[in-house]
Amino acid sequence: MNRTKYNCAGMGRRDFLQVGLGGMLGLGLADLLRAREAKAGKKINCILVWLDGGPSHYETFDPKPDAPKEIRGEFGAMKTSVPGVHFCDKVPHLAKVADKVTVVRSIWHKDPNHGGGNHYMMTGRPTPVPVNCGAFVTFHPSFGATTSYARGVIDGLPPYMSMDRMTRSGGPNFLGAEHAPFVISGDPSNKSFKVRDVVLPQGISEGRAENRRRLRRDLDNLLRITDKVAKDPAVSFDRFNAQGVDLVTSTAAQKAFDISQEDDKVRDRYGRNSFGQRMLLARRLTEVGVSFVTVYYGGWDHHRNIFKTLNGKFMTQWDQGLAALIADLDDRGQLDNTMVVCLGEFGRTPKVNKNAGRDHWPGAMSVLLAGAGIPRGQIVGATDAKGYYAAENVYTPEDFAASLYHKLGIDPHQVLHTATGRPVQLVDGGSRIKELFA
Amino acid sequence: MKSLSAILVLIGVAGCTSLPEGAPRVSGITLSPVAVALEVDARQRLLVSGAIAGREVDVTHYVNFSTDKPKVAVVDRTGQVRAVGPGEAVVTAKYGSHTAQFKLTVKPRAANQPLSFVNDVLPILSKAGCNAGSCHAKPEGQNGFKLSVFTYDPESDWREIVEDARGRRVFPAFPSESLIVKKATLAIPHEGGQRIQPGSESERVLLKWIRDGMVFQREDEPALERVSVLPTARVYRREQSQRLIVQAHYSDGSVRDVTGLADFVANDGEVATVDDHGRVIVGTVHGESTILARYMGQVAIARITVPAENRLPAEQYAALPKNNFIDELAHVQFERLGLFPSDLCTDVEFLRRASLDAIGRLPSPIEAKAFIDDPSPDKRGKLIERLLADPAYADHWANQWADLVRPNPDRAGLKSVYILDQWLRESFRANLPMDQFARAMVAASGSTHRFGPTVVYRDKRTPPELAKIFSQVFLGTRLECARCHNHPNEKWTLTDFHAFSAFFGKIGRKGSGVSPPISGGTEWFFAGGSGSVKHPVTGEALAPKPPGAPTPELDAKADPREVLVDWITAPDNPFFARAMVNRVWGNFFGRGLVEPVDDLRTSNPPVNAALLDALAKHFVEMKYDQKAIIRTVMQSRLYQLSHTPNETNTADTRNFSRMYLRRLRAEVLMDAIGDVTGVPSSFSATWPGARAVETWNFKISSEFLDAFGRPNSSSDPPCERNTSGTIVQALHLMHGDGLQKKITHAQGRARRLADSKMTVAEIADEVYLATLSRRPTQAERAQVEKFYETIKDKKDARRTATEDFIWAIINSAEFIFNH
Repeated sequence: MNRTKYNCAGMGRRDFLQVGLGGMLGLGLADLLRAREAKAGKKINCILVWLDGGPSHYETFDPKPDAPKEIRGEFGAMKTSVPGVHFCDKVPHLAKVADKVTVVRSIWHKDPNHGGGNHYMMTGRPTPVPVNCGAFVTFHPSFGATTSYARGVIDGLPPYMSMDRMTRSGGPNFLGAEHAPFVISGDPSNKSFKVRDVVLPQGISEGRAENRRRLRRDLDNLLRITDKVAKDPAVSFDRFNAQGVDLVTSTAAQKAFDISQEDDKVRDRYGRNSFGQRMLLARRLTEVGVSFVTVYYGGWDHHRNIFKTLNGKFMTQWDQGLAALIADLDDRGQLDNTMVVCLGEFGRTPKVNKNAGRDHWPGAMSVLLAGAGIPRGQIVGATDAKGYYAAENVYTPEDFAASLYHKLGIDPHQVLHTATGRPVQLVDGGSRIKELFA
Repeated sequence: MKSLSAILVLIGVAGCTSLPEGAPRVSGITLSPVAVALEVDARQRLLVSGAIAGREVDVTHYVNFSTDKPKVAVVDRTGQVRAVGPGEAVVTAKYGSHTAQFKLTVKPRAANQPLSFVNDVLPILSKAGCNAGSCHAKPEGQNGFKLSVFTYDPESDWREIVEDARGRRVFPAFPSESLIVKKATLAIPHEGGQRIQPGSESERVLLKWIRDGMVFQREDEPALERVSVLPTARVYRREQSQRLIVQAHYSDGSVRDVTGLADFVANDGEVATVDDHGRVIVGTVHGESTILARYMGQVAIARITVPAENRLPAEQYAALPKNNFIDELAHVQFERLGLFPSDLCTDVEFLRRASLDAIGRLPSPIEAKAFIDDPSPDKRGKLIERLLADPAYADHWANQWADLVRPNPDRAGLKSVYILDQWLRESFRANLPMDQFARAMVAASGSTHRFGPTVVYRDKRTPPELAKIFSQVFLGTRLECARCHNHPNEKWTLTDFHAFSAFFGKIGRKGSGVSPPISGGTEWFFAGGSGSVKHPVTGEALAPKPPGAPTPELDAKADPREVLVDWITAPDNPFFARAMVNRVWGNFFGRGLVEPVDDLRTSNPPVNAALLDALAKHFVEMKYDQKAIIRTVMQSRLYQLSHTPNETNTADTRNFSRMYLRRLRAEVLMDAIGDVTGVPSSFSATWPGARAVETWNFKISSEFLDAFGRPNSSSDPPCERNTSGTIVQALHLMHGDGLQKKITHAQGRARRLADSKMTVAEIADEVYLATLSRRPTQAERAQVEKFYETIKDKKDARRTATEDFIWAIINSAEFIFNH
């Protein structure tokens, strides 16, 4: 309840948050959203595909066919739709859409632990203390949570969603629980799948739902103190309920949540598996106005048998699903107002280990970006000849974070305040990766 | 003609004493400060206050100032005096027919005295914001230039400017070419923009200091001892304004006007705001607040009181019933602020409210009926006793304490987290006095798989982390702010924080440390390890010392933590009892007397200090018995007020003159829904039938608990428990499968009622009693009957109607909120 916390600028943290949430007490919601959109410029929604575990750059976007066998591994390189650009030969679908994307091959950092790497690449900030691989901890708001904070609720939609779980560092930290991701678990390739909470429960028709709501209106006689000085929480309770009702009565939104309404050919194109259908659902969610969707795709921690695993459906499903998303968005003319980002916490060691695996390696990693005006058919930077380190046009996670926020219309260098009022810069330094803004 | 000139003369006389437009009529004026000694070139702002009917208003703006010796001192229209030459002078303030005087002694300036970095330059850099936490005081600085936050380390700041970057930040031969001047004045590009106006006094000081040889500190330089602010306390009308003056007091007795270099922070922006220049603008609500003035690590407080213009007759307050001292003290405050308490809530409102607050449960329909039908006049009192004896009390309070101390199980290990959780439950089951509770935690020794409190030591592994959590939890103080720099809003310094940490400097441990994500090993903690806590700037080893208290004598063999707990739980400890009762208060009223509940400091005063003091005293007298203090709070009339405002208190959101709505806590709401629907939730990693309040770590997955603000302990700092509404909550409650399944469950209440022979009116009674602890009104009963009637032709009509009825009540504000 109206907790006010003070920061050095003399403005309560709660005041800051109220610009987003309780600020509605003063301005109408619509005014506020308009103001926010005006500030944000053209609204870009983002789909972030998180390859948890740390994908090998060799076996994805940065093959080194000329390196010795113990480095180049068992796979070859293949031509892509961009002349002169090669991807690993196990990602044929992505190779085909190479002319629609940018791959940055030269982002690197120094944290070889999953906990730390996740945090750095998911928030743009290194952990303030070393955390080890098992750590599941956040010290800073994630990209998705910050986007939720900056944009707020639009049309009754939770602005930040995550499938099928929250990633390790995907939380809101000091921005508060209202900016935690709305997690959609379950497998959208199942027949019985539905998106939780945004559609009416099984067996409840719209008519019955309306009956229920009418009865609620008739019976909810608790006094509402409409004078805004009273800060009556029942008034904002009503507002959220009204937004929730709008959402389940909006034909467009309801259609988007129902993945079974998608053309079978389109569903096939993404692959009839959980990852493929999550990609498809992510497209439908951003289409209807969700600002930020994270899709978790874990299992990339290939300390052993990397070639066996990546020669199977784990790889083909990812290759097909992600490529389909990019191509489909483009076919629909939506690639320019959607940003697709795909990365993990780091790359993997150049030398194949004795278990036919590769270990953690933050010295180089490849990040795929598409849409939002990002140039098509581009490779940014390069690793050295054997793929050890980012070597040309080298960028940091801060640069990456600053670029991502710029594309989303969020000032990466704005100062936020923690619960105790301590000022924290959203991204500490970093500048835009200029090649993404050409 | 003669008469006309006489009239003109009269007008002329009236003109002399008349006030400028908009100036208030006053019965007298006073001038502050009264007298000051200044050096040549120094400045001093003056403040003129006019008396109106027992209160004072700032009239400085309207006053005509003059000085009798312009060669000694001059004064401008705004009331700023500048010392010109040695001697004595009198400045006269004239306001209508009133005058007041200010005596000034001007001393010559010591010849060739260079400006000092500490006393002259650092304050300017501070005011310009160079050492703000988001600029050059970031841990790694900005563009290679790093200053200490809030100037906690002046020597390092001096080196950074004078010696670092091979000295290119200063250019003594040509001071205006110095990087520090050119960047700050934006003569060359500067990411932080223009921080110092070209040609300003600040620039002049900076240039002269460089020219003077960039002295760190003069040999005989007086040290800053404290700052003070004028006026220190004043009663205001709404929308009034007031200038503040900040004075710095030095070890040699000299005083400097540092208003222009001080920072100002308003504690409650609704009562009053303050600008960069120390101008206070009083807001539109009644109440009390403070303005903090900060200068070079020293702080001073100006108190703002905004009473109601229309106070009610004292008899009205005298006539109010008072159940105990809480009411007495609250009424004094209400009278002062022109608030009149709302009516007493009804018995059924009290039943629901008290049950939810004390034990986190709704009364069952049987309990509710029994209470409603009980004719005894003291049934509220009896209810309080019954609730305090209810076993559910323990889990409800343990669950709240778990928010404060529960570690991330990935880090501390599942078993350890469980052991701590169980210890909390046992403590509240036994009503362990809170001083013993604190002692067990702070001075914990033993195995993390045997004794819960040691798990805090497993999770917080360094002295500063322990200092942080214990000061926040048991002292209600964010000492943590002084870990890296002096506390911005309180007197605490780095030394205070690290000397407090030093109590934990010699913790020994053995066994297996943390190893996420399993971390399953046992670890033992004991006093008598080796180690010390060093001051982060000086590197000197610090002796353990509690904040604001003398350094205790420590027996080399004794556990210093026992000495610390002796201090914490001493009856005269200024923090512990207040912090504990404030938390309890926050639970029953939705906000603390100090808010946030763990942020007790001079610059964040309680809304009713006398009440907090009295509660703390009572708590000590009751030997830190939490149930005793809860009993007193619940018995007060204040806790039993209705949430319906009257014409005096709609805007009151902090003085407790009406009850505020509070959304039920995640666990309480989830359990309530289980009870109402007759279908309990089920959780992993607990026994069948466990309630949400019994879940013991945040990884026990629950969309419901996450949506309604269960804190995620993987976040550092831990996310605070959020009780605000969100869209996700609305969506989850309206459309979630969880509630739908419970409502339609074959063994649930809806099915049982629908399949029974009860009339619709009887069904309505039971559902109302189960959810809202009351019977429906006639009108409500009629509404429900009408609803059953309208759908009676549908298939399974009675079942459908009952389900929809329960859905509608659970989704109503009257259910979601405690009121």
